[in-house]
Amino acid sequence: MMNRMQLALMKKDIRGITSNKQVFSVMLMVPLALTIILPSIFVFVTVLVPDTTSDFQKLLEMLPSTEQIGNQKQMILGLLLNKIMPVFFLMIPIMASSVMAASSFVGEKEKHTLETLLYSPLSLKQLFQSKILASFSVSMMVSFISFAAMIVVMEIEVLLLTGSAVMPDLSWMIIMLLIAPSISLVAISITVRGSAKAQTIEEAQQRAVFLVFPIIALVIGQFTGIIMVSTWILLGLGIVLPLIAALLVKGSVGKFTYEKLLR
Amino acid sequence: MKAVLTQNLSKTYTGSKNAVDHIEFSLEQGEVFGFLGPNGAGKTTTIKLLCGMLAPSEGSCRVFDLDPAQNPEKLHQLSGVITEHAQMYDHLTGLENLVFYGTLFGVNAAECEKRANVLLERLGLVDAQDRKLAAYSTGMRQRLSLARAMIHSPRILFLDEPTSGLDPESAQNVNSLIRELSVDGTTIFLCTHQLRYAQEICTTYGLIDEGTLLATGNIQRLRAMVFSGVVVHVKASRMPDGLVYQKTGEHTYDITVNSEDEIPPIVKGIVEAGGNIYHISTHRMSLEEIYFSLIDRRKAGKEGENDE
Repeated sequence: MMNRMQLALMKKDIRGITSNKQVFSVMLMVPLALTIILPSIFVFVTVLVPDTTSDFQKLLEMLPSTEQIGNQKQMILGLLLNKIMPVFFLMIPIMASSVMAASSFVGEKEKHTLETLLYSPLSLKQLFQSKILASFSVSMMVSFISFAAMIVVMEIEVLLLTGSAVMPDLSWMIIMLLIAPSISLVAISITVRGSAKAQTIEEAQQRAVFLVFPIIALVIGQFTGIIMVSTWILLGLGIVLPLIAALLVKGSVGKFTYEKLLR
Repeated sequence: MKAVLTQNLSKTYTGSKNAVDHIEFSLEQGEVFGFLGPNGAGKTTTIKLLCGMLAPSEGSCRVFDLDPAQNPEKLHQLSGVITEHAQMYDHLTGLENLVFYGTLFGVNAAECEKRANVLLERLGLVDAQDRKLAAYSTGMRQRLSLARAMIHSPRILFLDEPTSGLDPESAQNVNSLIRELSVDGTTIFLCTHQLRYAQEICTTYGLIDEGTLLATGNIQRLRAMVFSGVVVHVKASRMPDGLVYQKTGEHTYDITVNSEDEIPPIVKGIVEAGGNIYHISTHRMSLEEIYFSLIDRRKAGKEGENDE
């Protein structure tokens, strides 16, 4: 369990990132673009531009027949909220956690404050636990704020434009409670693993960028009609990712020594 | 229990020669130990070995009977460390930094603030306590580092060049603080190459060059290794015949004696020979002279080995 000393370190790390305007604005910009601007464009195009349904035809055809009910525009909006946005959304925890983890680990190294922390009575394991948890908390905070912002903005737009709301389905619950936390941990541990070698924050962040590729593949896959992100796929990811995260976190905490970190 | 004890302690970095080469010394509690040597001599490596940041390649060390490599966390609770690369946070103020590090050592926030205020006052940083560290000068950062290292009242302080970047007044202030700490029983392990400064505050010394410990002990012991005698400077109108001296200027002479007991007969001799004495003073080898003499002796020894 976390002790008072670890909590102090966590608090300092979180404050460190939120008070650094440059890093924090980068961290907020992508979620903002992804959860407010992107769905707004989709909503406006779907509702206001005639004949957009043909662009979504391939996706619509893949929907189970039970979901193919009601107004087609409403159906597309549902598809947007519950099938397309979830995949884009996953970039948020990846981004937020890797920016935070890089600044929390390599940032300390870059600013020569890591050595001072190593002289504290916290063990390396405790230091890493606090730092991982700080990155995790920030990532979750950014994810939940983004989710709330997206729902509010989208619902208002849809309500104003069509007069009825679209509801988020079960897949969002799986994403917010299973996938976002575990994918954050995966991104954090990948960044942490690289942090012993990396000398600059940018270098450390680049490693987690690779995690975005499978997500881009999913986005392309959906639009071309190769794959549909169903609740089952999400649930599968929600089970596999925490396992990978647990393995990676355990592996990355265990392999450090003072000597390696100070090199 | 010894404060520090090393036995055959060695550290070899991969692909290079020994940074620390089989060194042995011990420190009593409350000692102010000056660890002296040129840049790259192995001083910082020794501190890192004693703090558990590096694992010894050979031999062992103990600090308050703890093995730093095995129990670094327990040792860190007892020790405060200042090194060139142990910096603090630029986005926090001086006071916030101290409170943060204090909490990291398990001291509660209210107590931290109390201790921080005392230390800031003592180190002349009260006016700057609410300023962000980014606005601090090198000297102010250095003083705050000292406060940071002391915030949890450690039993031993490892100080690597604590007065570098300090103006003479602040350096004096830091010196008197270190002296006070040692009186209260804190052991001080001080690395420096400012020898005059070391002689002012240290009780014992260790001289290291290229990883090899050349000498340890108090100043008398080190002096005995080089030259234990006294040089008497005399300014007199005339010198008696038969006295062995070296003329250093007009009417000034240096006389080398083994002890101060030999000085009165010399004075008597000059007076009896009809000379007037205008000045008389004694000079013992300073730490600086001893240091250079030992380093030169080692260099000469190495050149001798190479010639053979």
